[in-house]
Amino acid sequence: MPLTKSKAGHTGVVKSITATEKIQKFLFSLGCSEGQEITLVSILAGNYIISVGDGRYAIDKKMAGAIELA
Amino acid sequence: MKIALAGNPNSGKTTLFNAITGKTEYVGNWPGVTVEKKEANLKRKYKLLAGLQDMKEAGTGKGDGNRRNQVRVVDLPGAYSIAPYTSEEAVTRDFILAENPDVLLNIVDASNLERSLFFTTQLLELGIPLVVALNKQDVLKRSGNSIQVEGLADALGCPVVETRANGEEGLDELLRAVGQAAAAGASGNPAFEGRGGEGEDKKRQAYVKGIVQTHLQRKRDKTRITTSDRIDRVVANPFLGLPLFGLVMWAVYAFSINGLGGFLADWVNGTLFGELVPDAAHGFFGGLGVHPMLEALIVDGAIAGVGAVLGFLPLILVLFFCLALLEDSGYMARVAVVMDRYFKKIGLSGKSIIPMIVGSGCSIPGVMATRTIEDENEKVATTILTPFIPCSAKLPIIVLFSAVFFPGSTWILPAVYGIAGLAVILGGLLLKRIFPWEESSTFIMELPEYKVPSLRHAFRQMVHQGKGFVVKASTIILVMNTLVWFMQSYGWNLQPAEDQGASILAGVGGLAAPLLLPLGVAGWQMAAAALTGFVAKENVVATFAILFATVSEEALHAPGGVLAENFTPVTGFAFLLFNLFTPPCFAAIGAMNAELGSRKWLARAILFQLAAGYGIGILAAQAGSLLVYGKWAPGAVPAGLVLGGLAALAAVLVQRNRARDAQNELACQE
Repeated sequence: MPLTKSKAGHTGVVKSITATEKIQKFLFSLGCSEGQEITLVSILAGNYIISVGDGRYAIDKKMAGAIELA
Repeated sequence: MKIALAGNPNSGKTTLFNAITGKTEYVGNWPGVTVEKKEANLKRKYKLLAGLQDMKEAGTGKGDGNRRNQVRVVDLPGAYSIAPYTSEEAVTRDFILAENPDVLLNIVDASNLERSLFFTTQLLELGIPLVVALNKQDVLKRSGNSIQVEGLADALGCPVVETRANGEEGLDELLRAVGQAAAAGASGNPAFEGRGGEGEDKKRQAYVKGIVQTHLQRKRDKTRITTSDRIDRVVANPFLGLPLFGLVMWAVYAFSINGLGGFLADWVNGTLFGELVPDAAHGFFGGLGVHPMLEALIVDGAIAGVGAVLGFLPLILVLFFCLALLEDSGYMARVAVVMDRYFKKIGLSGKSIIPMIVGSGCSIPGVMATRTIEDENEKVATTILTPFIPCSAKLPIIVLFSAVFFPGSTWILPAVYGIAGLAVILGGLLLKRIFPWEESSTFIMELPEYKVPSLRHAFRQMVHQGKGFVVKASTIILVMNTLVWFMQSYGWNLQPAEDQGASILAGVGGLAAPLLLPLGVAGWQMAAAALTGFVAKENVVATFAILFATVSEEALHAPGGVLAENFTPVTGFAFLLFNLFTPPCFAAIGAMNAELGSRKWLARAILFQLAAGYGIGILAAQAGSLLVYGKWAPGAVPAGLVLGGLAALAAVLVQRNRARDAQNELACQE
């Protein structure tokens, strides 16, 4: 299920990320990669606010659609 | 001896740097404030604490006797990993690999331990003595979590010191640890299986996770809705977000320009530099029996010109104070989130709003702030459009024209910023259509926790910026003023000119004056003022002050004053817009050059800004005159020709770009 389909408050394990290698690496360094838990905190102004590790990040819809949760 | 500061974005490197060197480098509460490395000497107090003053450096060469005892501190842009994602992250890696600092001071955000330690373990492998500053202790405490410092130090094999750079806490111990680390040599090397091999990153991540699990006690569920999240729901609300942002910016400007700042500037302009200083100077020089020529140079040239600019100091101080508070709060990252979906439509990123807000203080740091935008197209467009937002140097022009032509009006300022916003939107749409454009952007923005902005910090930033403004006024602007004064008092034969019209400046300005005709503006004085504005925008006001100084400084600001003889209110407004949207000062063009990275793009950017400023000015003059006075402004025919030419040029460029896109598509299909 892509992140865009989950509800606010949902915590899931990342199954796959479809993005360029550069973006994958960047997300990885934030702690967002296959097998890691992320939480969708809320959807604000068309952006997805996610909780990864101890950080909060806003990602756009396109990016959120590329993150597949198990 | 060299100490390098490295760590994740927004972990507090520059705050720590400022604290241990006594500098006032630019800081803000969003990731990516520092985009270039900064260097300074370690404060003496900390040098003694670290015991570094006695250290003899290895390989003492000749002639570096003085530098031997210097401890240089280097602040690097933040990075999440040794492998760079954005160009400013590469600065960090390249510096560490090429310059081999003696000690690495790794600033770790204690409230985001896992992400930070990933980078720490990579840094440890470089074989350079490393000390961890476990920063943001206050945020950690507030979250209820705690970290076992000794255990963490053992696990990493390097000293770990708790700090709070904002309050300058823990810095003594930190520097002591740095001194000891420098003497002891390389720190431990992280030992985990699979180093250097396939899937190294995954294994490193697991290794770091293990360390964090052992040494971090969690009291709070990290996914719980925090106060920050609640605030975000309001400020980044799809409906409230944009109006709220408008309200915040309006409050900042109203307070700076019409409120406290404007009140103080009025007094300084009208009373201090209008009466007190010139009178005193005249009296002083008169008493000394100085040559009247010299007296005129100093009083009518230097004091009138520089005074006209310095008068705006209070206004600029208040503006920078407010901007510093805003930047410190954590709100900027949220504005980027709110703006992203709008800005994407015009070919920009949500992050483009940060350069623009910073640029409303000064375009130079504004343009530099574009570096955090990953997408090349969005970055270039932001670099070209950021100078459209009126910077503090353009404020004097706005305030002057508003006072002369629209006394007591409250709509000029919002109108100017509204037009600037419109120029950004239309400019973005146009840029997207006249240059090759790829839709490949992604938006990822870290949302730092909000904090109560520090008044002390804002005050220091304000003093720092104010100092810069005064230095600029007393150097570049003073020199320009003296030159302008000289050029307007002397003719080409280097004899005092009979009247201004026969002066050198009249000649130079006269050459450029025809270009202003489509704006409905005639007269070499206006052209001369606009020309000096390219050196520094404050010069526009300063030059007017000198040229019309014969009538006294007060008359320049007076409603319906001397300027009103040369403009109608509408052409005055058009001339103002022309000055705001044509290319910025030389220093900002230099910054654009650095960010765009190619002469070709710089040339395109400057031509685009010239065309935009000229086009907007002409449009305002002619359409405005027609609306307000019921007839075209003077110079309607050349105006029509220029506008027609610009429109045709835009159409050709759009067409060419479309053809190129179609061709590319065809090539792809085959």
